[in-house]
Amino acid sequence: MAAIMSANPRAEIARASEALAINISAAMGVQDYIKSNLGPKGSMKMLVSGAGDIKITKDGNVLMHESQIKHPTASLIARAATAQDDVTGDGTTSIVLLIGELLKQAHVYITEGLHPRLITEGFDVARTKALEILDKISIKSDGNRDVLLEVARTSLRTKVHHKIADILTPIVVDAVLAIRRKDEQIDLHMVEIMEMAHRTDADTTLVRGLVLDHGARHPDMPKRVENAFILTCNVSFEYEKTEVNSGFFYKSPEEREKMVLAERQFILDRVNKVIALKKQVCPPGSGKSFVIINQKGIDPLSLDMFAKEGIMALRRAKRRNMERLTLACGGSAVNSVDELKEDALGFAGSVYEHVLGEDKFTFVEDCKNPQSVTILIRGPNRHTIIQVKEAVHDGLRAVLNVIEDGFVVPGAGAFEFALHEELMRFVTEGNIKGKSRFGVEAYAKAFLIIPKTLAQNAGYDTQDVMVKLQEEYRESKKVVGVDCDTGNVMFPGELGIWDNYRVKKQQINTCSLIATNLLLVDEIMRAGLSSLKAGGGDS
Amino acid sequence: MAMHIGQAPGFSQMLSDGARYYSGLDETVVRSIEAVRELTRIVSTSYGPKGLNKMVVTHLGKMFITNDAATIIKELENEHPAVKLIIMASEMQEREIGDGTNFVLVFAGALLDQAEELLRMGISVPEITDGYELALGKALEFLDEVVCGTVTNVHDREQVQRAIKASITSKQNGTDEFLSKLITDACIALLPEKGKTFSVDNVRVIKIMGSGILASHVMNGMVFKRDIEGDVKKAADAKIAVYSCAVDINQTETKGTVLIKSAEELLQYSNREEDLLEKQIKAIAESGVKVVVSGGKMGDLALHFINKYKLLAVRLMSKFDIRRVANTVGAIVLSTLVPPTADVQGHCDLVYLDEIGDTSVVVFKQEKKEGAISTIVLRGATENSMDDVERAIDDGVNNFKAITKDNRLLPGAGATEVELSRLLTQYADTRPGLEQYAIKKFGAALDTFPKILAENAGVKAVEVLAKLHAAHLEGMKNIGFNIEEDAEAAIDAEKAGILDLYLTKASALRLAVGAAITLLRVNKIVMAKQAGGPKPPKQGAQDEDD
Repeated sequence: MAAIMSANPRAEIARASEALAINISAAMGVQDYIKSNLGPKGSMKMLVSGAGDIKITKDGNVLMHESQIKHPTASLIARAATAQDDVTGDGTTSIVLLIGELLKQAHVYITEGLHPRLITEGFDVARTKALEILDKISIKSDGNRDVLLEVARTSLRTKVHHKIADILTPIVVDAVLAIRRKDEQIDLHMVEIMEMAHRTDADTTLVRGLVLDHGARHPDMPKRVENAFILTCNVSFEYEKTEVNSGFFYKSPEEREKMVLAERQFILDRVNKVIALKKQVCPPGSGKSFVIINQKGIDPLSLDMFAKEGIMALRRAKRRNMERLTLACGGSAVNSVDELKEDALGFAGSVYEHVLGEDKFTFVEDCKNPQSVTILIRGPNRHTIIQVKEAVHDGLRAVLNVIEDGFVVPGAGAFEFALHEELMRFVTEGNIKGKSRFGVEAYAKAFLIIPKTLAQNAGYDTQDVMVKLQEEYRESKKVVGVDCDTGNVMFPGELGIWDNYRVKKQQINTCSLIATNLLLVDEIMRAGLSSLKAGGGDS
Repeated sequence: MAMHIGQAPGFSQMLSDGARYYSGLDETVVRSIEAVRELTRIVSTSYGPKGLNKMVVTHLGKMFITNDAATIIKELENEHPAVKLIIMASEMQEREIGDGTNFVLVFAGALLDQAEELLRMGISVPEITDGYELALGKALEFLDEVVCGTVTNVHDREQVQRAIKASITSKQNGTDEFLSKLITDACIALLPEKGKTFSVDNVRVIKIMGSGILASHVMNGMVFKRDIEGDVKKAADAKIAVYSCAVDINQTETKGTVLIKSAEELLQYSNREEDLLEKQIKAIAESGVKVVVSGGKMGDLALHFINKYKLLAVRLMSKFDIRRVANTVGAIVLSTLVPPTADVQGHCDLVYLDEIGDTSVVVFKQEKKEGAISTIVLRGATENSMDDVERAIDDGVNNFKAITKDNRLLPGAGATEVELSRLLTQYADTRPGLEQYAIKKFGAALDTFPKILAENAGVKAVEVLAKLHAAHLEGMKNIGFNIEEDAEAAIDAEKAGILDLYLTKASALRLAVGAAITLLRVNKIVMAKQAGGPKPPKQGAQDEDD
């Protein structure tokens, strides 16, 4: 009788070997669930939400969170996947597999009577060694476009169909390169991701400028302008009520008419100031035009005035777009139209509106030196767009990681395989004393799950591929990976299959940590009622 | 998070209450295929000119009788995720092209049906999807070869009517000739000068109960089911002012209070208010305008003066209608009640109040042939039949738009499908790998169309298919199935003027294959417990006066 039972008779409890069995079986269950998604040949899962929305994905992080899993062990693993996603944006599926496999391998030794503590000590040693091996295997990269393309392709191909991945690859790389500034940290928020339910996902493009998801506000405004000055502002062009309670008093209709006019005068002045600037910078016949993108509102009367001047005006732009606009087109965002100068204006080669059913989009394109770009995701339906969006997100991160790390790691399971070989050699050479060496062995074996699963998902015999890899590795002393198209051995370095350094590093750290934690649990308790139904908790 | 401990291992035990988990080929792909089959069974009997109508009654009691697949599936409120995916593809077709929705449904269904057979043969999912993708690429290539003509001049009534007729035939068999003529007239009338795109929105349809479909007609201008506000009921050769604001006394945005100190002032106030308004309306009348269109209220007082100055006043409720009227008459919408200058005034040849049946309508009619907006006045015995004809017209107009984008034509009546199927089967034989089976099945899926056409016409499908294939083997690539009874089953579609649009077919093929492949690639499904309560409201326009 556990102590907690006397404190709360409805508490649930699982002890010692039972607790361990729960953790291990849960980790393996999750691993089994997510296994089929790994790698370029991984399959998709369809998630249907309570409201009936459909999501089709193979992103490990999304799956862990949206698969309606409520098991405590599973949610612990899900958190590890989130951490992985937050830090690196990739490798989430692998981490779930690794945790499951570490526990599975440990389980073998535990059933033979080895204490979990000793295994975790072995894990610790192995982890330190693994990081050393990682440093040895990883290759320095100066982040030139070719390498970035290769890394992005490797990452994207595991998320979407390879045809789409090949289209997205240059898009994400060029997007990151466009916003990259010397000696400054790259802010990925400066890549706007815009979605459009239109045509197919193969029509996704990179827009060197900005795409806003609304249109000009007046039917008479130009739908397309060239050589446009862009005024980015946060000024209200609409009548606003005073904050205090106010009222007019008049005694004749003429007075009232005057009031009506005076009321507008205030806004009128602002509009006229902008129009004056427009006239100054775009003299007739100069071929230049003027666009206003306003964060606040513009009321129909002001719109009318702008329309008459041939000015394209957009209202209620998103806040985050204001910052991007000035980065993309130059100029600065203004908060007042007083003392408006020409140097506050940005410039874009063309601004045009695209109407899609009832949705309007405004493209601000051909900017001089855009420091903010837009990836325009197209797709025939919601789930395709979401899928591409998640992939683009991860692709951007992958490119960013290379630039920040300065290192890349051979992909296609090559690193994991090499790690296994090196660790096993480390053990057999007798570097570890005592029983914790079994922990290192378990650790080494666990990493084989990655190449194994890659081969399995591609439809090849796992053992076959492992043997081939081993022979090739021992003979050529080169890092070798699994070729998912043929089931043979290949050299990822030659084919340009690279993973991120930090993805692997984070994986090694996190999976060891979580696995250690789970192994060392010897009691699971849950106090209180497990459901509101009377007596629900004491079953 | 409710948690239990000490449960048996396995993934499905880890899910939250009520969630369903399907894994493996049998539970996901095969079941999805079954569900989709149910859907295609519903719509395939509505395919083609001899397709049957469906009666759909919604939970609100609204009834639809139609053979338009887009409408049927919209009202079905399907829950199965696989079926939803297929429907989404069809909806995308509706949005992109506006026609060919049934084709997408039936073809996606047929592809999945064939995929099931392949799976039973032991061919793996990747091999099937690879094969389908290859076949799609090839089919689109072959489609170029199958092209049997083009619409060389979109202003040519005969050519255009010929191109869109088949689409109407499949929806309104019998009145197709008449309707396609109406649509052609309506579309060509507003064909803009080069460089501008044709907007589907500019062909208006107004449904007025009574008489028969054959009494429908096209006119250049607009018709509204409204009454004229004032006493003047007709204005010919009239200048028009269009206001988006109310025609009434001006009000301040801030709350105003009239400050009156004596009875005299009170008397004067009303008088002067009247004077002021009269002055405004008089100014409008003096600018030469005969008709005033407003999007806001017309006050009683204003109306009095409008009558006094013999103005014709129309009030329209929708601001889109206001814009359309402005477009038709060439006016600029004014947002304040100012006298219109010459450049913002529009002109209309005839504005009058008419009674069609017992419905009074306001007609804005332009005499000349070309205009900004044309209206099809649709007559019919019941709401339902008119709704159905309206949908057919919509499809026809969309077809016209498609022609303006891509003028290539394909032979209809199943000829294109048979030809593609033949070419794909040939191509399959040249492929070394297992994907050749999938390519063949892709061809077989295409054969579904002549089959369904024949079945719906009550003819033995197998015989027809054999005949068609035989003819195509001999190089007669335009041979399709003849739906007319007591005639030869095979017909030269190109000569008979049964033509489909290239754009429609290419897009439909792409979407159907995309949906089918997506479904096949899924290997696990997790469904959350259905959320209770009403569905969340759809997100409307983000701007209030849009």
